[in-house]
Amino acid sequence: MTDLLTQLLARRLLLVTGKGGTGKTSVAAALGRLAADAGVRTLLVELGHEAVLPELLCAARPLVSGDPRRDPQAAGPNLSTLRLIPEEALLEYLELQLRVRALARGIVGNAGFRRFLEAAPGWRELITLGKLWHLATREDADGRPVWPLIIIDAPATGHGLSLLSAPTVILDTVRIGPLRRNTDLVQTLLTDPTKTLVLIVTLLEELPVNETLELRARVRGLGLALGPVIANGVEPALALPDAERVLAAVAGLAGADAPSPLADPVALCASARHRLGRARMQAGFLDRLEREVGAAPLQLPWLERGVDGPDGVGELAACLRTALAQVASELGT
Amino acid sequence: MKPGDWLACRVLVTVGTGGVGKTTVAASLGLAAARAGKRVLVMTIDPARRLADALGTGPLDHEPREVPRERLREAGVTGAGTLAALMLDTKRTFDELVLHVAPDPAARERIFSNPIYRNLTDALGGSREYSAMEKLRQVHVEGRYDLIVLDTPPASHALDFLDAPRRLSGFLEGQFLKVLLHPAAVVGRASLRLFRGGSELVLRGLERVTGLEFLTAISEFLLAFEEMLGGFSERAHEVARLLRDPACGFVLVTGPDLQQAKSAESFWQRLQAEGIQLVGLVLNRVHTWPGAGAPPADDPREAERAIDWLAHALAERAPDVDAQSSARALVAATRAQAALARRDAVVRARLEGALPLPAEAVRAVPLFSEDVHELQALTRMAELIFGERGRA
Repeated sequence: MTDLLTQLLARRLLLVTGKGGTGKTSVAAALGRLAADAGVRTLLVELGHEAVLPELLCAARPLVSGDPRRDPQAAGPNLSTLRLIPEEALLEYLELQLRVRALARGIVGNAGFRRFLEAAPGWRELITLGKLWHLATREDADGRPVWPLIIIDAPATGHGLSLLSAPTVILDTVRIGPLRRNTDLVQTLLTDPTKTLVLIVTLLEELPVNETLELRARVRGLGLALGPVIANGVEPALALPDAERVLAAVAGLAGADAPSPLADPVALCASARHRLGRARMQAGFLDRLEREVGAAPLQLPWLERGVDGPDGVGELAACLRTALAQVASELGT
Repeated sequence: MKPGDWLACRVLVTVGTGGVGKTTVAASLGLAAARAGKRVLVMTIDPARRLADALGTGPLDHEPREVPRERLREAGVTGAGTLAALMLDTKRTFDELVLHVAPDPAARERIFSNPIYRNLTDALGGSREYSAMEKLRQVHVEGRYDLIVLDTPPASHALDFLDAPRRLSGFLEGQFLKVLLHPAAVVGRASLRLFRGGSELVLRGLERVTGLEFLTAISEFLLAFEEMLGGFSERAHEVARLLRDPACGFVLVTGPDLQQAKSAESFWQRLQAEGIQLVGLVLNRVHTWPGAGAPPADDPREAERAIDWLAHALAERAPDVDAQSSARALVAATRAQAALARRDAVVRARLEGALPLPAEAVRAVPLFSEDVHELQALTRMAELIFGERGRA
């Protein structure tokens, strides 16, 4: 059995999703860094309103190459990022299909069509997947994939599901024509467990854990394969074996002349109780995830300084490597 | 506006990025209003089962579920106040909308049986935001509640719901739709002159890309909707007005993390640009310093002194525990707490500087060591936001 990291990196598309606020972007960035360090040419794709990955991955503002609205931008050895803009991808798609640039621009520039796009649901999801398919199937002169691995910082649960279910909706309504053919291709890539995996990031709290379990069922229902659950922000346990007796003794020190606010008995007891309570809660949700998913989640520690730049991403990537090495399981079947 | 005055609004909307506790804050705002004697409805998008358990409503669904009287009393609602909750259901909201605006049963059936409609309503993006707005409008018009608290959909598309009504009406009133709806007329040469904007060319180009079948399906769908377009459009405008009414207040919810604070700031800019009234900020899950005064600055030597002193004291009082390692663990916990409290204070100051809110409109809620869903915890949060008595 190959280790989990090797199995993950053998995929073509890794979609990272989960409840809002669980750290999807940081985890996607860390995974990208890990893959690139392992020698896999990796493209990290983000779908938000503004690009956050370049800042997260690069110490200095990287040089722009080509058209940043369309072309992946280098973010280090083996690693590039792209903010996928549906409007731009639509224009690109129309150009490819119509083979007349001016006609495509005419369509997209038409005021009526723009209003249509603003109201029409679903096309953003479809064109986003279409562009991902296009990136995944591009080959260089030697017939090797240009992007062996694409990691997507996918939207949170609700919009993430909209994204993943868009092909199903089209396949239900459209039986023939170019749209049908293209959607078939996209769906084939998405539902191939050897190529595409969905990774759900969660925190060890009630709502994110509930959402993770529901999301897993929905993703499976759409025919996509799931990778391990990633529990992010796991808080360190307090190494206090005789907690109750120690805390009783500390409480008894109230009023004593502590040499520092750090030894203030009230602060000591409250801080320790807070940590013990959080640890108990997190352990409970870890158990629940393991029980209901049937496999232990990967655990990423809460990082004190946060993940707001390349150092933080590097630290999280190292933790991810450790976590992946600790789990032995066969993926995505 | 101080929290007591928020409750004078007819509609309160909680906004913020995912994971900051919007649903919980929405529930505790509702509870505080019920304590102030109001009839309140909380509308949530989260299938928050434990919230439903805490409130004793039974599973939440598309219809308002009342919180039983004895639960309300437990939570300090002693007067005439009532509290109900509902969970938004996109598909049902759309179905109801169709039921209300369809001119006759045949038109209704055409919509309900259209494959695009069947899929569109619960799976595709944008419909959740639209249906949240529509449900808000419905409940508001019915007038059964003094206050409606709306917990908005999270996601990176965070404020898309503000655009939903405008987007829809912009499209419905546009020319492109007419072309899509009457392709036959467009093909006729005579009508070409009517569409100088090039919509016909656009349509032909699109047909080559998507195939005729898809365009036909969309046209049929829109054709089925045509009869109710007026109703849709009118409703969209109504919601847009309601959100900008002085009786509607937005409460921004954020966590103390720098990234969260930054998104709160961009939220605020967006709300301001939309002409929306921000009444307050709830800074949720804040780390507080449990000792006296401000959290101490970090100083490793002082930490060593604290450990020595504590180890001695523990050795005297609890001779059978490992005093040295216990003291080390305890002081490490306090140091971490102080560091977090300092960090959160910096973020709070930043937010207070960035948002033009009076000090009393910014409320901090500490990070509890358990999830806040038990009724008691909700009550505690309401009291923290609205001051000790919470009955303003």
